[in-house]
Amino acid sequence: MARPCLLLNPTSRHGRAARGTADRTTPMAQLQFRQALRAAMTEEMERDENVFLIGEEVAEYNGAYKVSEGMLDKFGPKRIIDTPISEAAFSGLAVGSACMGLRPIVEFMSWSFTWVCIDQIVNNAANVRYMSGGQYKVPVVFRGGNGIAHQLGATHSHRMESVYARIPGLIVVHPSTPADAKGLLKSSIRCDDPVIFLESEKMLNELGEVPDDADYTVPIGVANVERQGKDVTLVSYGRALQRVVRPAVKALADDHGIDVELIDLRTLRPMDTKTCIESIKKTNRCVIVDEDWGYCGMGSGILQKLQKPAFDYLDAPIEYVHSDEIPVPFNHYLEEAMMPSVDRIVSAVKEVCYR
Amino acid sequence: MSVVDEVAKRPATRKPPESNSAAKSDGSAERARLRLMMLIRRFEERTVQEYQKAGQKIGGFCHVYSGQEAIAVGISAIFQKGKDQLINGYRCHGHSLALGMPARDCFAELFGKATGCSKGKGGSMHFFDAEAGNNGGHGIVGGHIPVGLGLAFAQKYKNTGGVTFCLFGDGAINQGTHNEALNMASLMKAPVIWIVENNGVAMGTQVERSSAEKDLAERGSGYAMPHYHVDGNDVDTVIEKFGAAVERARKGEGPSYIVADTYRFRGHSMSDAMKYRTKDEMEKAKLRDPITLYEVRLREQGLLTQEQIDQLQEEVSKEVADAVAQADNDPHPQLEDRFDDILAEKYPYQPK
Ligand SMILES: Cc1ncc(C[n+]2csc(CCOP(=O)(O)OP(=O)(O)O)c2C)c(N)n1
Repeated sequence: MARPCLLLNPTSRHGRAARGTADRTTPMAQLQFRQALRAAMTEEMERDENVFLIGEEVAEYNGAYKVSEGMLDKFGPKRIIDTPISEAAFSGLAVGSACMGLRPIVEFMSWSFTWVCIDQIVNNAANVRYMSGGQYKVPVVFRGGNGIAHQLGATHSHRMESVYARIPGLIVVHPSTPADAKGLLKSSIRCDDPVIFLESEKMLNELGEVPDDADYTVPIGVANVERQGKDVTLVSYGRALQRVVRPAVKALADDHGIDVELIDLRTLRPMDTKTCIESIKKTNRCVIVDEDWGYCGMGSGILQKLQKPAFDYLDAPIEYVHSDEIPVPFNHYLEEAMMPSVDRIVSAVKEVCYR
Repeated sequence: MSVVDEVAKRPATRKPPESNSAAKSDGSAERARLRLMMLIRRFEERTVQEYQKAGQKIGGFCHVYSGQEAIAVGISAIFQKGKDQLINGYRCHGHSLALGMPARDCFAELFGKATGCSKGKGGSMHFFDAEAGNNGGHGIVGGHIPVGLGLAFAQKYKNTGGVTFCLFGDGAINQGTHNEALNMASLMKAPVIWIVENNGVAMGTQVERSSAEKDLAERGSGYAMPHYHVDGNDVDTVIEKFGAAVERARKGEGPSYIVADTYRFRGHSMSDAMKYRTKDEMEKAKLRDPITLYEVRLREQGLLTQEQIDQLQEEVSKEVADAVAQADNDPHPQLEDRFDDILAEKYPYQPK
């Protein structure tokens, strides 16, 4: 039986990012993010024959981003299913089949393409349990690349987390390490609710220590205190965390003597408010960082959850560092400039620390 | 030619198809079908009355099924409970009753009561009964078509031998989901029967104004599946033609696309004054009332007397009246209940 993994794993690439199983030494493998995802899907498909993978190019082409490489050979076309370019049809198919007891994993080539099937995810996946008075479970995982990758232009760079995280009836997960990717995806596949599982194309090559164990899982709804610190609480998740937050934390320590407590939310809905508040009680300051647009962005939702319970402990207003509110430009320099940077984070942290 | 004209051309009564072995029975199956059609009609007419009562007894949108009963009842005659599945749009009262859901559970849902088939959380457009094989009741036009594909996909994946009846209106065929799901169903040979309940109009837009292809069965071509029209007011024809499609699906030969031509006697919803229809058109349509047609046929075949018809009418009237009385007395959900049924798990979620 899998145990929730509560010990910080000192061997992980980011020092304390992954949680290993507490009471035994778990063998670790150096895996890419994409291999961690594949391992999770493969292990869960071996475990439960109701699990299948469906999406564009997942089978014969081995996955647009090679996440499902080799899975067709292993599981055959009944369970690794190529589809036409029909997001509405295959996401809705997943909902219907989940209502009938199957456990589909839907791969979207990019979450940006889900604007054409939000109806299926929101009106069907998220609502059917409620509006049927609890008669159905909808155990489906929708996963794929989210957010700004690299010069993909405005249509392929959407950050969809705030779109889905506001929907009751959905779970929204956004791992930032290969170990979490595996553990959270396994939990998501075993979960009886619809899960929005967000990845980033830019993270798929990232290497990290990943437990080898078929029972290794990471619980949904629990944030990870990735680094203990006393001066300021920094809340982030996913790609922003990997791309700029960790370097900023290092710069703050090295160059400014500011000791950051870093929280990786990991699950965006339901949000682990408690861990954040406990941290703010200690540091009295908080900065949120994500790559979303600020207005109605994911960070403004996080801020709303923290502001009131944290108010009495705060020595400065909570800061929110987000992307510029413009469509994502194609030009590399403009694209880079619109996103949160190490500098922006450093100055936001200095501001809340009055430094 | 409008649907009404086309359907009106057909004979008022016809011999039941030879293949329909039930027709050679003692008539009890036929009488049960007639009774079910009468029950649906009575349910809907009472729904209209209840809707009009003061105090928002039934709130929100409410679309009744009067005039289309032969389709739902025809399906119920071939539907194998425990094996087959059905899914449809928001005009879902008739199908729900046809699949055996008690009128009381349905009225309770209309009144938003805790005893409703969806615990008062669904309403008129969202009747569900997973056990009966009724997967709703969906309010977004065309949105449930891919879900229907998923039900059939699961039947095939698990090799249950079941088929899925996926119903939608002539308005829904213009949604993108219709193209995507039909194409995929055919590629996958999914055991699904696509059924267009063609009542000739989507709200106030006549088919001729919404579909470039006037022959709606042709909308099923291009997907490599059988596609044809059925007289949706003739319950025997529905049973026969749908039965052929079901047999094909059960044999693993894939989906069929059937346009059941019919007519709705009431407005689109309660607020619809039907200004887009002429008196003449409605009079003509009444001549092809599916219930009357079937009564006449059963009398001609000696399976039913006028006396028995009157008695059936009395029975269904009482059933509906009792159901309303019970639903009226049922409790509203507890206010705390609004937080139930959102997620299956408690979080933080620990995998099993
Ligand atoms: C996506 C969407 N657009 C518009 C509506 C509003 N609407 C509800 S019913 C309807 C007409 C649909 O007609 P049809 O599919 O022919 O079914 P019928 O009412 O004839 O049974 C419309 C436009 C909706 N519910 N969903």
